[in-house]
Amino acid sequence: MNLLFKYTELILYKTYADLKAETERTYLGFLWWIFEPVMYMSVFYVFFGILLGHRTDDYVPFLLIGLTSWQWLKSCVSHGAETIKGATALMQQVHLPKVVFPIILVLTDTVKFLFILSLLLIFLWLYGYSIGIAYFALPLVLIVQMLFVLAFTFFLAAIIPFVPDLRFVVENILLALFFMSGVMISSDIVPEAYQGFYHLNPIVTIIESYRDILMHNVWPNSSALLIISVISLICIWLGAKLIARFEYIYPKIIV
Amino acid sequence: MKQEQPVLSLRNVGISYKRRIFSEPFWAIKDVSFDLYHGETLGIIGRNGVGKSTLLRMMAGIIKPDTGTFVNNGYSASLLCLQLGFIAHLSGRENAILSGMLMGLRKKEIKAKIDAILEFSELGDFFDEPIATYSSGMKARLGFSVAFQVDPDILLVDEVLGVGDERFRQKSTKVMQEKIRSNKTIVFVSHQAAIIEQLCNRVIWIEEGVSKAEGTPKEIFAEYNKL
Repeated sequence: MNLLFKYTELILYKTYADLKAETERTYLGFLWWIFEPVMYMSVFYVFFGILLGHRTDDYVPFLLIGLTSWQWLKSCVSHGAETIKGATALMQQVHLPKVVFPIILVLTDTVKFLFILSLLLIFLWLYGYSIGIAYFALPLVLIVQMLFVLAFTFFLAAIIPFVPDLRFVVENILLALFFMSGVMISSDIVPEAYQGFYHLNPIVTIIESYRDILMHNVWPNSSALLIISVISLICIWLGAKLIARFEYIYPKIIV
Repeated sequence: MKQEQPVLSLRNVGISYKRRIFSEPFWAIKDVSFDLYHGETLGIIGRNGVGKSTLLRMMAGIIKPDTGTFVNNGYSASLLCLQLGFIAHLSGRENAILSGMLMGLRKKEIKAKIDAILEFSELGDFFDEPIATYSSGMKARLGFSVAFQVDPDILLVDEVLGVGDERFRQKSTKVMQEKIRSNKTIVFVSHQAAIIEQLCNRVIWIEEGVSKAEGTPKEIFAEYNKL
């Protein structure tokens, strides 16, 4: 129990330290956590909203919701996959439970995501969407996505130190997932024959849940979200077990 | 002294590394046996690349032996790490807290020691500046001051005693020697015979991953220097 407090304290301080270090690296500091997503979103607004004329329908908000959720997942997974491998020098000097490294990264990226989420909400309100009763489900969907992200990240972080080559595979798996997760398309344009498979992808459900809440004021599919949470929790537990299994092996890997 | 229970005990320890999952293991340590007793300063000597650092890592609980047995009878052991986890864009104070926490201190423990760190490191107003602005000597001073505040039951030291410019080197060497002469249990690893001879009560000689001889510094160095 004491150890749990000790490591929680360490995780929080290291997250704070990493975030602060990032803001100190540039002139504008933490303002980049706002400007960068604004620039990113503007690109999509100009291309789809103005150039392709989707200004009146709801494609731009539809797309930005998908992209916001996706970027959070992608940054956590692609950075998080490298965390244990990247901590080799540190772990050769002190004993630390290796699971803290992916957790710190997910927390750091989540703090940055919260800025982007706030911007998205402001954009949606300016665009004409209002806050409905379904907003109460928003924290729940965020937690479900966080659990899913942690599970995914733990597994990759556990394996990458042994097979560094996987990094290239991960990039392309993420690209494939991007197209298969309904970031840009609505699920009803997927052919009938593939609908079942398509919805096996938890990210589809998560992104649709955000759209239900933020655009349609509809309560999301609770049972699907519950199933995703339970499976994610089991995978987090397994992933942590896997990392713990190699606790004393990681510092011995010669890079 | 030899009748009491040892704090650490190694029997026929072997430790191997692998470059790839399916490649042949490389045995850094093949067969090492010795005991470490409370309050002694044990020196481990051997040429570069005979696995001394690997041995320290095992004693610090970072890795486990692949063969043989290693028993720690419930004592905390850690390596003296300089500048552990330092982040260039953070201040000396923040780095001291982070580094101390990484070394296993609670936040309030390291905060209670921050004044001592500030004083020993002689950084003055620079303490709240980013360490990216420090000279390498200043960084070394901060690193030593933090590491020195961490007080495990067994201190494991790899080569370095003093760091920094000449004056700070003398000062840091002096406090380390005081710690060594006190009743602290210390394992000190070096390939420099002179330092070990000066500081240690007992010496283990490791040759090609095998503990070859054990005895007083005088006995061991009579043999070691012949080679």
